[in-house]
Parts: sequence; C-alpha cells; structure tokens
Amino acid sequence: MKMKNRNKKAQIRVLETILASFVMMVALSFVNIFATNPTSPKYEATELQKVGYNVLHDLDEQGLLARFVYNGEWNNLRAALRVTLPTDVYFNTTVYDLSNRKLDDATVFLGNSQIFTNSKNVVSVTYGLVGSTKVGAAYQAVYDPRIVILWLTRG
Amino acid sequence: MIAVMIISIGAVMNRAVTYYKQEPWEEYLTLIGSIELGSRRLVELSLANYTNAASPDSTILRNNLQKWQINLTKIYPGYGVIMNYTLANQVYNVYGTSLRYSLGLNQTWLRPSSFSAANSTFNLDINSVGLKGYKFTSVAFLNLIILNVTTSSNEIAVTVKGDGGIPVTGLGEDNFQVVGFSISKATSSYDQQYLIVYKIKYVGTLTLPVTVKVWDTRGIQVTAKYP
Repeated sequence: MKMKNRNKKAQIRVLETILASFVMMVALSFVNIFATNPTSPKYEATELQKVGYNVLHDLDEQGLLARFVYNGEWNNLRAALRVTLPTDVYFNTTVYDLSNRKLDDATVFLGNSQIFTNSKNVVSVTYGLVGSTKVGAAYQAVYDPRIVILWLTRG
Repeated sequence: MIAVMIISIGAVMNRAVTYYKQEPWEEYLTLIGSIELGSRRLVELSLANYTNAASPDSTILRNNLQKWQINLTKIYPGYGVIMNYTLANQVYNVYGTSLRYSLGLNQTWLRPSSFSAANSTFNLDINSVGLKGYKFTSVAFLNLIILNVTTSSNEIAVTVKGDGGIPVTGLGEDNFQVVGFSISKATSSYDQQYLIVYKIKYVGTLTLPVTVKVWDTRGIQVTAKYP
C-alpha cells in the first residue's frame, strides 16, 4: 500500500515538472514576442538615424556642411560622408532649396540603388541649413535655406 | 505560477531598461539640436551682415528670424514645429561688459575695446510630440581689444575674443585690416593675461589714433580705435 502511494506521488511530481516546463516554455515564447533585441529593425533604424544626424551635425558645427552645400562641392561632401560614416553604411544625399528644387548633381552617394531597394532598413535624416557666409574680398552673408536629406542603409 | 511571475517581471524589467531605445523622442532630440544650431547660425549670419554693410540694416535679424520661423515648417513638415523668438532689447552684461541691444543687435565700435554682438531667445514647440516651451538662447559675440601700438617697431598688439569670452585662434593677416596701412604679417603668441595676443606688423609710418578691423571665420566684423 505504502509502495503504491509513493509511486503515485512520484508520478505526480514528474507530471508537475513536465507541466512547469511547459508553462515556462509558453511564457518564454510569449515574452519573446514583445522583446526587442539589439539587432531588431526597430533599433537598427534608430541607430542609423542617430549616426546620420550626428554626422551632419558635426559637419555643420565645423562649418563644412554649409561650405560643401552652398559652394556645390559635392565631391567633398561625398568624401566627408564616406570618411565619417561607418564602413558598412551606404548613403544617398539630396539637397533641395525651399521650392523643392533639387540642387545636387546626384553624385553624393555610396552604393547602388539596388542596395536601397533591397534593404529592410532604410532611414532618412532631414537637416536644415540657414544660409552661407563668404569671408574676404567677396564678402557675402545670405539667408537662403537648404534642405539636406540623407538616406542611409547597411550593406 | 511562480515561474510565470518571474519571467513576466523579467520581461517588464527588460522593457523598462530598454525603453529609451524604442521611444521616438530621440528623433526629436536630434530635431531640436538641428533647429538650435540653425538658429545660432542665423543669428551669426545676421550679425555678419549687419557689421559688414555700408549702411547697416538694424532690422536684419528680425527679418531673417521671421523668415526662418515660416521656413521651419517647410524644412521639417509634419512635426508641428512652432518657433517664437524674443530679441534682446535692453542692457545685458555680456562677459563682464554692459552692452545695449537694439532689435537683438549691438555694435560698440571705435573704442580700444570694441564689440559686435547679437542675442535672441527662442521658444520652441513641437506639437507632434507634445513638446511645449523649449527655451534656448543664441548669442553671437566678437570683441577686439587693441592692447598697444609700438610705432618704433610698426607693431600693433591686439586680442580677439569670441562667444563665451574665449580667445579666437587661427586668425591671419587676411582677417585684420589697419585702416590706411597694409599688413605684412600677423602672428599669434601666448599671453598670460589674454591667453592669445596677435601682433600685427604694418607697413609705413603711423600716427595715432589708429583704426584696426577684424573679421572672424563667421564673417563678423569689429572695428576698434586706439587710443
């Protein structure tokens, strides 16, 4: 009789363990639905936006972005972005005036159009410039805003 | 049951720790930074224009800010950006000197210590995220002090201070003008009191008073007179 009771208890324990494991697995799967891991598209987009904005902001702080944009130094802008952005990041930059007229010569990019169409995470950063100042004999300070749009993706 | 509770708490803690990474406010921080820098650049550009014009337009800062206010909605559409500004219009103590602003601008020239300054306070709302009343001030400042003139060695010693009263570095002969004389050389050296002193070598025989002009890299001009 005693032996029978013990066997029953052991069976119940095994059942409990299986049930607990099952509950834990269900709970873990449930949590995983909501978890946003560091490599998820949600983080990636934010990270790329941060990188893009920081690069444009740094170039502007140094007075380089305005110089490149207002003097039409597109090759220099391309080189500056290429140097400052991480090596696995591809970019495409477009510059507009306030009438939405495209001003760049479509050379400020790295990568090809396929990379941007096939990539899951393509982000854009919009950056405004107020005007240009030329120092020296041909002095000029003009209020003439420009809109810089930087598209970014990882290759 | 306990296992479910522990895992749920773990999930909640994970969400709490990584919350900042998922929320869109980071995007707005960058937007605020961009508008702030743009506004500062506009104040500098307006002061550069004001100090370089043959007949200065005292309303230039106000006019440019009015345009910037409207253009911001075109540059950042969909964010609900509303920017208001207040131009400095009274006496302010700027780095130990009292300056009287008019429509946000000040030009105190033709003194041994002369100034060009602009000051505007901004109030920014971004309706799409419910941001209201973000305030920041943009100040552009340039101060030229003629320390002494040594006629025997054709040398004028000056110091130039920019925003924050910080000495301006990297200026050369192209940045200075001694009215009526050409400059052969402008060199900078360390000074215990002023940190950086520029020695301007001019060509010719000078009689006092002397007028010296300086332009910084932003194009802001100051004209000082000695004595």
